[in-house]
Amino acid sequence: MQESTFSVIPLLAVLLPWASLLAILAFPKRAERLRLWLCFLGSLATFGVVLSLLPGVLDGNTYTIKLASVVESLEMRLTVDTLGYYFALVVAFLWMLATVYSMSYIDHKHNRFFAFMAMCESFMLGCAFSANMFTYFIFYEMMTFGSYPLIIHEETTMARRAGYKYLVYAIAAGTVLFFAIVAHYFWGDGQLGFGSYGVLSLEFASRAALMTVFFTYLAGFGVKAAIMPLHGWVPDAHPAAPSPASALLSGVILKAGAFGIIRVCFNVFGADLLRELEVYVVMASLACITIVVASVFALTQDNLKRRLAYSSIGQVSYIILGLAMLAHDGALGGVMHLAHHALMKGCLFLCAGVILVKTGKKNISEMAGIGYQLPITMICFSVAALAMMGTPPSVGFVTKWLLGSGSLQAGLPVYIVVLLASALLNAAYFLPIIYIAFFRWEGDEVDEHGERHHPKLVFGKEADHKLVVPVVVLAALVVIVGIWSNVPGFPYSLVSKVVNVIFP
Amino acid sequence: MGAWRHFPIFMITLPLLGAVLLPFLGYARERWVPYAALLPLGTSTLLGLLLMGRIPADGFLSYHLGGWEPPFGIEIRLDYVGLFLMLVVCGITFLALVYSRRYIGKEVSGGQRTAYYVLYLLLSGAMLGFVATGDIFNLFVFMEILALSSYALVAITGNRNPVRAAFKYILMGAPSSIMVLLAVGFLYSATGTLNMADLARRIAESGYTEVLIVSYILLVVGFGVKAALFPLHMWLPDAHSIAPSPISALLSGLLVEVCAFALVRITFSVFTLRSSDLVMGTADAVGVAAVAAVLYGGIMAILQKDLKMMIAYSTVSHVGYIFLGITAFTAEGLTGAMYHMLDHGLAKACLFLCAGNFIYLKGYRRIEDLKGAWSQMPWTCFAFALASLSVIGIPPTAGFISKWYLILGNVKGGKWLYAVVLLAGSILAAVYCLRVIYYMFFQAGKEGAWEESWRDAPPAMLAPVWTLSLATLFFGIFSSLLIPSLLKAAAYLL
Amino acid sequence: MRLLHNYHYAAAMVLFCVGLYTVIVRRNIIKKLIGLNIMETSVFFFFVSLGYLDGGIAPIHAGAADPARMVNPIPQALILTGIVVAVSVTALALSMVILLYRQYGTLDVDRLMREEEPEAAEGGKEE
Repeated sequence: MQESTFSVIPLLAVLLPWASLLAILAFPKRAERLRLWLCFLGSLATFGVVLSLLPGVLDGNTYTIKLASVVESLEMRLTVDTLGYYFALVVAFLWMLATVYSMSYIDHKHNRFFAFMAMCESFMLGCAFSANMFTYFIFYEMMTFGSYPLIIHEETTMARRAGYKYLVYAIAAGTVLFFAIVAHYFWGDGQLGFGSYGVLSLEFASRAALMTVFFTYLAGFGVKAAIMPLHGWVPDAHPAAPSPASALLSGVILKAGAFGIIRVCFNVFGADLLRELEVYVVMASLACITIVVASVFALTQDNLKRRLAYSSIGQVSYIILGLAMLAHDGALGGVMHLAHHALMKGCLFLCAGVILVKTGKKNISEMAGIGYQLPITMICFSVAALAMMGTPPSVGFVTKWLLGSGSLQAGLPVYIVVLLASALLNAAYFLPIIYIAFFRWEGDEVDEHGERHHPKLVFGKEADHKLVVPVVVLAALVVIVGIWSNVPGFPYSLVSKVVNVIFP
Repeated sequence: MGAWRHFPIFMITLPLLGAVLLPFLGYARERWVPYAALLPLGTSTLLGLLLMGRIPADGFLSYHLGGWEPPFGIEIRLDYVGLFLMLVVCGITFLALVYSRRYIGKEVSGGQRTAYYVLYLLLSGAMLGFVATGDIFNLFVFMEILALSSYALVAITGNRNPVRAAFKYILMGAPSSIMVLLAVGFLYSATGTLNMADLARRIAESGYTEVLIVSYILLVVGFGVKAALFPLHMWLPDAHSIAPSPISALLSGLLVEVCAFALVRITFSVFTLRSSDLVMGTADAVGVAAVAAVLYGGIMAILQKDLKMMIAYSTVSHVGYIFLGITAFTAEGLTGAMYHMLDHGLAKACLFLCAGNFIYLKGYRRIEDLKGAWSQMPWTCFAFALASLSVIGIPPTAGFISKWYLILGNVKGGKWLYAVVLLAGSILAAVYCLRVIYYMFFQAGKEGAWEESWRDAPPAMLAPVWTLSLATLFFGIFSSLLIPSLLKAAAYLL
Repeated sequence: MRLLHNYHYAAAMVLFCVGLYTVIVRRNIIKKLIGLNIMETSVFFFFVSLGYLDGGIAPIHAGAADPARMVNPIPQALILTGIVVAVSVTALALSMVILLYRQYGTLDVDRLMREEEPEAAEGGKEE
């Protein structure tokens, strides 16, 4: 990678969330509100710090700071490159909104929840800024264990069971990943860093060796990224976790796996090596299967958050599919989808949370007429859901368009069929929700003349502002980012820089 | 020729001297004994730290007792790896001793407390000497001192179960000592020398004769019992779980490692002919035993209901780790094994002391009793959790670093299967450790199990526990302090 | 022929095996300890016979004694240490036997080790 300047800002970004943790410890239990606001300030400040790097990153600078080193080639280092910065921005932004949302949503054991939220944010930013696989793995594992208390926060039997399943998957995945990194270190001539064109090559290691490294990486990260045979924990964990945590799970934590795969593809193996090894075929087929099968599963779910979870499984595989195309537009679409999906699915999960808080309803079949009760929420839900189907103008459309174009560039139009099928299935499982919410209502109101009326739209009696504002912001961004993707700091402006280097 | 050349012998003799003097103090002022016992160990630790920069990674300090030249006199031969382990021993014994005052004050009756500290110092001094000595008969003597004092310490309370566990320990330990003695005799009969360096030279000249082969195998078996390598581990779970907690910490955290280190010494400094079938064949056998240890120990730990029993079985598993590192015969593997001695020592000592806190305050021994412990004993529980993470090997704890090198070493040695076993071992560790953490933090306690008032262990017990658990974190993050030198030292040993 | 010549080594080994057998097979713990002592003695015997010289003299360098006829003193010195160690182990073990007999009322190792269950239950009650 190019020359990088020393900077403490990445470290600051990683450490700032811990300030919230200190705030929780430092202030007495009585000052609940004060503590919550301090947590919010912590996440706001983190986002601010991350944002402050934007001009420099857009100029193509990289910033780096060494934390510790074991031996020369095995060091913990934070580096802000464009790709990592892009992910960090998504993390910090979504985390800020989720924190605001949680201030109202979480009703017991605030301390634990906010403490682990803050810790996980720190670890996620550490993942985003990692300069090599070693550092990435360290932060990734810490994040894995740090997110466990978020999942079981409700402490119901379901949550415990989901948490158990999560841990089993996570530990197995961590072990496989560890193996992958050792193998990478061994066959990669001690090079664990990220190179712009990949660092591994067939000079040092045999084909079979590199294939082993690749597939162990894919399996290790694939658990978090919920590639199909490894997705088992996702549909359980999402409904069990509190809604802001599910939003983060879907929006960011699943992406940590996907981001790992992006790093492996771009910066460890490089496009040429992947093409030579022909592993992209496996990747693509797994992704296609996941996209279609997960959508079919989603159709059958009545629990809203479970349906959204299956949808996430499918959507994260868009990223994998985009990478596997090994074409400019495909990679662009795939990597951009990381942010796009975070916005859309974050919005959807937060909406599900509002519904749960206000009405206590979890299942879609119970939600008849809910759009009149919670108009703003459900409008935002509809916007995000339509975006998931790929309706223009929205981020979902941008993704689908780029992926379609990428599959043509790759000369494999079959992917377009998969994308279309997925769009149809998305429509099939999202439209009924919108329909039920707005166009079907139970117990019609009958006025004194005996005439039946629609229930009235009730604005202003929506939930707490802290719940509604993040939802609205996300829904607005789903459209805005879809239209003006090239605004500095928006996905296209960052991702295109990376992808243009790899696929000129 | 500075005064520091004399430090190693002081490090060894000070605790032994303390052990001799303590009974007199105990006769006069029993209350002072726990504090006085700290003095020699603290001094030893200090001397060890002062020595740290002076021994090069690829060299050794040879000290001749009484000024007699090596082949005739007893030599103390301290290389970097040895000093590293001596420091680990000093540090952990010191902390466990700090912990002992309150714990032993409650568990051991008045008259035997002085005996406890005397034996404790004997054990510590013997471990230090055991690591440092360059004379193979001296090795045997130190091993006997440490074995004897550990038998007695396990049984110190004189109650039914401890005495039985100690007796079981003797029944396995004493024959193994005799095997070592016999091996020393064979070595002497074949070479006519007892100095390790001299032995190595003569063995290299003569090649492996039958007598040497038999003596090597006897040494492996003898030390294998003391180090609790898999089929010879039967004494360990009982002795380690029933002994008073600070003693469990020493036995699990140090004694097995020191004995494993003796095998490192024997294998790398005495039987130096690498090409022969003898060492390699034995290494293969030990490797298989270690694989079995990792898996068996892990599975048994999962099945345990008693907390200390679980930790003890986890030790069986981790001894397997150390041996897998040694049998890799690569610098990375050996480094991993040495670093594992450090982090396993710290983490295991911490776990046992935490278990001791529960016993001290509530008398709880079973894992089930710990449900909801977090609400009343947060400090103990957090320290336990941190140490558990190191046992599992989750970054950024020291356990991760050692696991990394253990696996890398085995991969470099071409032993992929062992690497996979190590990974499987850490999965098993995750299962048994996380179960306890889950009970502590995420389960509600039984009615009346924890009183309302917030009462954690006293600071004198929490301080050592926290020092140990933070040390696992420290040596994970700042592993660069030691790893490069250890790598160099390991390469030198090979 | 070599074996005949080195009959004392063979004797030591036989003794060692007898001791080991006793330790492993006998159920009475005192007999086990006796076996342990037999093992120890065999090793001492082996050591001392290493330095033995037919018609040798004490290794005292005063006067004009022939060094070639002197007995090797090192094994003897070692064995003095070894005996001290062995005695202490035996003493410790015997004191434990006394404690065990007082508390369990048996010297049979099988019955001793089998007492596991009631003991665990008792431990449970204590809490």
